[in-house]
Amino acid sequence: MKDFSQVSPLKVLERSTRGELGKGNLGALIAGAGLGKTSCLIHIAFDRLFRGEKLVHVSLRDSPEKVASYYEIIFSDLMKAQQIEQEGGIRDLLERNRIILAYLRESFDLERLRGNLDNLIKGIDFKPNTLIVDGVDFADAGRDLFEAFKGLAEAFEVEVWFSALSKADDTEAEKRTIPRPCGELVDLFSIILQLISSYEGVFLRLLRDHEREYIPDMAMRLDPNTFLAIE
Amino acid sequence: MLDDLTHIRNIGISAHIDSGKTTLTERILYYTKRIFAVHEVRGKDGVGAKTDSMELERERGITISSAATFCEWKGHTINIIDTPGHVDFTIEVERALRVLDSSILVLCAVGGVQSQTTTVDRQMNRYKVPRVAFINKCDRAGANPYRVVEQLRIRLNHSPVLMQLPIGLEDQFSGVVDLVSMKALSFGGPFGRELREGEIPPHLLDEAIKRREEMLDAASMFSDELMEAILEDAVTEELIHQAIRKGTISRQLTPVFVGSAYKNIGVQPVLDAVTRYLPSPADVENSALDMDHGEKEVMLSSNSDDPLVALAFKLEVTPYGQLTYLRIYQGSITKGDDLVNTRTKKRIKVGRLVRMHADEMEDTTGAGAGDIVALFGVECFSGDTFTDGTLNYALSSIFVPEPVISLAISPKDNRSKANMAKALNRFIREDPTFHSKVDQESSQTIISGMGELHLEIYVERMKREFGAEVETGIPEVAYREAISRRAEFDYTHKKQTGGAGQYGRVAGFMEPYDEGAYEFRSEVRGGVIPTEFIPAVDKGFQSCLNKGLLIGFPVIGLRVTVNDGHHHVVDSSDRAFMQAAIGAFKQAYGKARPIILEPIMRVSVECPSEFQGNAMSSLNQRRGLIVSSAEDGVFTTIEAEVPLADMFGYATTLRSLTKGKAEFTMEFSRYAKVPDALEEDLKLRYKDKAKKGEA
Repeated sequence: MKDFSQVSPLKVLERSTRGELGKGNLGALIAGAGLGKTSCLIHIAFDRLFRGEKLVHVSLRDSPEKVASYYEIIFSDLMKAQQIEQEGGIRDLLERNRIILAYLRESFDLERLRGNLDNLIKGIDFKPNTLIVDGVDFADAGRDLFEAFKGLAEAFEVEVWFSALSKADDTEAEKRTIPRPCGELVDLFSIILQLISSYEGVFLRLLRDHEREYIPDMAMRLDPNTFLAIE
Repeated sequence: MLDDLTHIRNIGISAHIDSGKTTLTERILYYTKRIFAVHEVRGKDGVGAKTDSMELERERGITISSAATFCEWKGHTINIIDTPGHVDFTIEVERALRVLDSSILVLCAVGGVQSQTTTVDRQMNRYKVPRVAFINKCDRAGANPYRVVEQLRIRLNHSPVLMQLPIGLEDQFSGVVDLVSMKALSFGGPFGRELREGEIPPHLLDEAIKRREEMLDAASMFSDELMEAILEDAVTEELIHQAIRKGTISRQLTPVFVGSAYKNIGVQPVLDAVTRYLPSPADVENSALDMDHGEKEVMLSSNSDDPLVALAFKLEVTPYGQLTYLRIYQGSITKGDDLVNTRTKKRIKVGRLVRMHADEMEDTTGAGAGDIVALFGVECFSGDTFTDGTLNYALSSIFVPEPVISLAISPKDNRSKANMAKALNRFIREDPTFHSKVDQESSQTIISGMGELHLEIYVERMKREFGAEVETGIPEVAYREAISRRAEFDYTHKKQTGGAGQYGRVAGFMEPYDEGAYEFRSEVRGGVIPTEFIPAVDKGFQSCLNKGLLIGFPVIGLRVTVNDGHHHVVDSSDRAFMQAAIGAFKQAYGKARPIILEPIMRVSVECPSEFQGNAMSSLNQRRGLIVSSAEDGVFTTIEAEVPLADMFGYATTLRSLTKGKAEFTMEFSRYAKVPDALEEDLKLRYKDKAKKGEA
């Protein structure tokens, strides 16, 4: 699917200095409750999958069936939006390149994830390029966890994307800078994106771009239903 | 006959294997005074539990064929179907769910939601069956009912509501706190027959108050009256029961009970819950298809005075003859009535009418709407509809999965030969997922079904129940053939050998078809093939589907369009056009690039987390595609898609890789193209067989 990169929400990274998050780095997608963080995160996953990369979706909250059904829904939306009727081959490719790891009822710890990734690489020769991590509570997690994730990203040579819930009570000052909960962790993240919904529409804003100090305030408009980039 | 429909409950008891379904049923029968002593599933007394009536079931400690049994509890009649837990026998579960109105979902307090629980739960959703949950085995080491409640929420998407709290757990488990009456319940006397009420132990009081509030919160969503009563502090037990019942019947809430059937704790409250919260036949809408009006869906009335509509949902062979279990949806049956089988239009007279109590029976003179009874001497198939002859209704057929595995069998001696035929004839009638045929070329009898164990059980039953000793071949996967592109045909069948000749020409194309196994379309214009011969053309193509030309397996996913042809006023006939279609099929099939499809199974492996790596590699080595892996506490559940051909003997492999601590279930998922190397191999094998004259 050649065209997908033109409508992918990750097109916003064309405005970034490196054009991508890159191996060994952490990226975050921030949004308020109910704005569609998980959906947008899965679009990031599709972006990687359509490039033929291997991906592990790590869910700390939902069962694998639920995660798979999110992918299903978004996939069929994508096929409709792209007016593709013969989806057989594409679906096959995606399913071969994606594995869901779920950690139910607080079963998650980083050592366990490390062990599971080792099993995937050594046991079944599945070496992921990207990890999508959904459901980490940034407010409670603490800096140690993200430092450890950074270590994991480097050791396994993967890029790791998180979703983060921003608080509704951010101050005006916080709204102009990087909002909580990523504010204090900013040095650990190479890319931070913010999903904003206003009366003008839904936008994706690049808040942090590797080491670049000044980022012009440019937001990319997304289709509010499909989260695909609108030219 | 039962007078009041609202006092009938038709329930199933479904769960993962070894969760204690049979033990629970046994206790229910004991408390309802249907039996007077309790036997264990694998009892030392050699009697075995009541519902495991087949010798083989008692030996293996599993329930194979579901036995219908009835009992009475506090003025209610409860018909129970004890359903098998092994996935190979899910047709039994499916059939039970079709005729029952609700179910008790039994879960193990240690194992929680296991792979088979998920399968059974999916089936219950398909048939919209409301359920109450019973968390059994709270006396076992590692029991944690709270964890199971969370699993119900997260893994099965239920809205579970704890109706009780356990008093103690593991070897300290001694009773339950009822959150409706706010009393502690203990179970004394022989086999816990005497229910005693007492005060809640002080150390549990705070927890009980908190959990009751949660329960009231959930229940009040279904009753404004209860919500008002909560605000006014005037909650009554009756208001709670009404609200929970409403939530349960609408399947938006699952009341959860705890206990240990084996230790005789908590079973009677589950019986109360069955009568209080689960629907009566009057609460459930059932429909049938009106065969006289284009299979239009019609609602059934649940009224015993209306014309009869009943479903034969299970056949059993007994020493006294064939026993047919019927669920009556509307109308009634009395001894001496005439019934008509909608499928065969045959009329039968009701002779002996019985209520079943596992393998014992009680004669009865009549039964009304909503009830389940058994009849003797009725020749029919499982799934047939019976009416009184004034209606031509069919109850929508039960979903029957296609068999995925087959096995060649041959009788060891002449006596076995005759008995084997009798046994096969019986099994086919009893179980729609079991098939048997004689291969014309090899003269071998081939049986097919849903898995290795499924066929193994039937081979054992042939020996034990029918005295038929058979030798078995190697299990074979039920492959399919399909075409991968459009191909044209134009074939003329012409024969002139004295007397009347044969002439027919058909032209058109075949193409892949996603929506079903086969479709025939006629676009013939101008009468070049007269209308009366079109069905013969269709029949000719259909006759080719049973045996594909690539490796001799059935062809699926094919659409044939005939758009031209020719006939002869004297020499054309049905036979000639059938032969023309067969020739056309042969002409086009090879050009349409046929491929071989194999059944892909959805496999779920559950193991302690330390074995995740081993389990994943073992699936990967079997051409498995790992879909997901879920960590839950110290356990991991791996979901994968694996070709059935590579699953033979997996139970042994998995056992040795995980020190016997893992288990797996599998069910058919879809057909997929086999890899090229395997395709070549299968073609070679078929050619070899053909040379030897076996194919």
